[in-house]
Amino acid sequence: MKKWMPYLLVSPYILHFAVFVAFPVVFSVILTFHSWNIISPMRYVGLANYEHVLKDRLFWQAVWNTLRFLLVHIPLQIVLALLLAELLNRTITGAAFFRAAFFLPVIVSGVVVTILWQQLLSFNSGILNRMLTAIALPRVAWLDDPAIAMYSIAAMATWKNVGLYVILFLVGLQSVPMQYYEAADIEGASSWQKFRYITLPMINPTIFTVVVLSTISGFSLFVEPYIMTQGGPMNTTLSAVMYIYRQAFQYYHMGYSATLGFCFALIILFVVIIQRRYVEQEL
Amino acid sequence: MINAWWLSRLFICVFGMLLAGCTQKPLADRSLTFWCSNNAGEIAFAKEFVQQWQQLRPNKPLRYQPIPEGQSSEEIILASVVGKTTPDIYANMWQGSVEMYAKAGVLIPLDTLKGFWEFITARCDSAVIREITSSDGHIYQVPWKVNPIMLVCNTHTISALNGAKPPYTYAGYLDAGRQLSRDANGDGYVDQWLGYTEVKAIWYERLFNFYPLYLAASNGAPLIAPDATGDLHAAFNNRYAVDVFRFLQTLYKANYFARERLSATRDPFLAQRISTQFTGPWTVGFLEKFKDAGFDYDTYAMPVPNDHRGPVYTYGDPKNIVLFNTCRDPQAAWEFVKTLVDKPGDRRLMELTGQFPRRKNVDTDSYFASFLSKNPRLLPFARQTRYIKGVDNCEVIVDVFDIISQEYEACVLFNKKTPEAAIRDAARAVDVLLTSERANE
Repeated sequence: MKKWMPYLLVSPYILHFAVFVAFPVVFSVILTFHSWNIISPMRYVGLANYEHVLKDRLFWQAVWNTLRFLLVHIPLQIVLALLLAELLNRTITGAAFFRAAFFLPVIVSGVVVTILWQQLLSFNSGILNRMLTAIALPRVAWLDDPAIAMYSIAAMATWKNVGLYVILFLVGLQSVPMQYYEAADIEGASSWQKFRYITLPMINPTIFTVVVLSTISGFSLFVEPYIMTQGGPMNTTLSAVMYIYRQAFQYYHMGYSATLGFCFALIILFVVIIQRRYVEQEL
Repeated sequence: MINAWWLSRLFICVFGMLLAGCTQKPLADRSLTFWCSNNAGEIAFAKEFVQQWQQLRPNKPLRYQPIPEGQSSEEIILASVVGKTTPDIYANMWQGSVEMYAKAGVLIPLDTLKGFWEFITARCDSAVIREITSSDGHIYQVPWKVNPIMLVCNTHTISALNGAKPPYTYAGYLDAGRQLSRDANGDGYVDQWLGYTEVKAIWYERLFNFYPLYLAASNGAPLIAPDATGDLHAAFNNRYAVDVFRFLQTLYKANYFARERLSATRDPFLAQRISTQFTGPWTVGFLEKFKDAGFDYDTYAMPVPNDHRGPVYTYGDPKNIVLFNTCRDPQAAWEFVKTLVDKPGDRRLMELTGQFPRRKNVDTDSYFASFLSKNPRLLPFARQTRYIKGVDNCEVIVDVFDIISQEYEACVLFNKKTPEAAIRDAARAVDVLLTSERANE
């Protein structure tokens, strides 16, 4: 084989990486120092975009909204997924059906699921409110009340993704050696003690994986608020990614949008580092 | 094993074919391209006029194409500007976008073309010419068509009211709301409203509620205007804007307007869940097609403050024609555009699309009288075309509407701010925006 042959064979990947990863990253860095609306020439503005980010109340609200979503979504997802995985790990009739049923929303298009939930949560005609009125409870403005809307979205996103984490937890649970439980039985440990002192430590890596995965997917929250609420009411469901998108493709503030993207990436990095330290210490 | 010689030859062939695919046709063969809107009426309009042109000027080939499908025509146009694949002629350009494209230098200043001034002064009055003149003094758009936003009322329910009859002042409209809004099925929730207007805090929704009401209240005042030094600043921190916010806030607070989204259900006006709506002439065709037997409606000017004097202005939703600088033969393109916007062209536009040309005296010109007598439902809209406005010439007008929209949501829909505070904050934010735009120039 000629010396240059391996280079030729990996060149498609290198080309793809250069065009679709390296170039956009470098170009985005350059963009953060410019004002550009796509059609006019770029104007160098120095650090003005970064200064603007610090003063941009709406961006910080969007970051806070995203964190608020994560604070509800991640614990809810972990508890629910672990609970369901624990149930499915037992010998129950129809376990295969339940596994498939819980996983089904994961593979259905996010847009379709979101539109369906939008109908379910409708104030006037949604099934959920019809059920509430049927039992003489007041209707709830699930998506139109600023105090509730983000939690409705978090609940929907949890429902959509929980199946994936159930499968991960199931794999984790099934990898715990049975001898530990048998020994604990002989010592007279309760179910809770077995769960707390055997199961949880043994599935620590799985929990960490789930936390990291759901944090990353949570930070990229976009489809759900974009379709269900357009970021409203009163920007309470405006996610950071949605705001970055809006700045870029609605207002064509490309330089500012790139700057927001970088600032948000730094925030994610910071959160993931804290999370990693905390999870490693606790579990 | 693959022979390296063959491999390198194959690579050169493929690369060569790709390059060959990128070459353009010789310029001499290139026909002018006209992008029209992609609704059936306008496609038929474009087809007819392109065929006529081909017969008259076979030496100037021209083809039409409905604007490619996308989320919005604005997005498609922007993508084509970036990709330098713009058509020569584009009809249906939102007036608010023109300043941005003009400043980017991608539009042809039409006033430099032969015969444009004679045309524009014959077709439009001085106010319209002022409105479409760019900040650099040139005109980059042909005022083409308008769809005035008006108040359409359910005749049956409105006529049954005690005293609260259109045309409405704010007091009369609120009185109609008091009499009309109710819980029809007795479940404790209001399910019949006076009206509905989109609650989404998206900037363009304000073009169909706040903005026409502001124009109506203020006799067509601008949102943005130059100050003594000639710099643009927010001009809407005035009693008209405050009154409009208060009026709309009251409608929502009193439950006369539905706060939740009704757009996912059957048209609420036809279903008689709402009795009035702010809408344009496009609604007439829809209502005529889908209304139940016995359903009737009428059209009026937008509600105005109680002490309002003078004509009632509204937003005209103007869509205009532009020529892009990729056009190889602007004079020929302009000659074609003239055929679309002369009197026969304008009448055909009305016949095929139910939309109105932005020209003087549409409602009284005998040339259009036969169309209006055949379509009496459109007559109020035709009369309204005398008192319409587009949007101010400002590169960041979308951002301005977005700022207003944010305050609209906080004040009108959620009652978190007083109208005075909301308008003041919006005006301040717009001034900051305009100042930073100037600093970046």
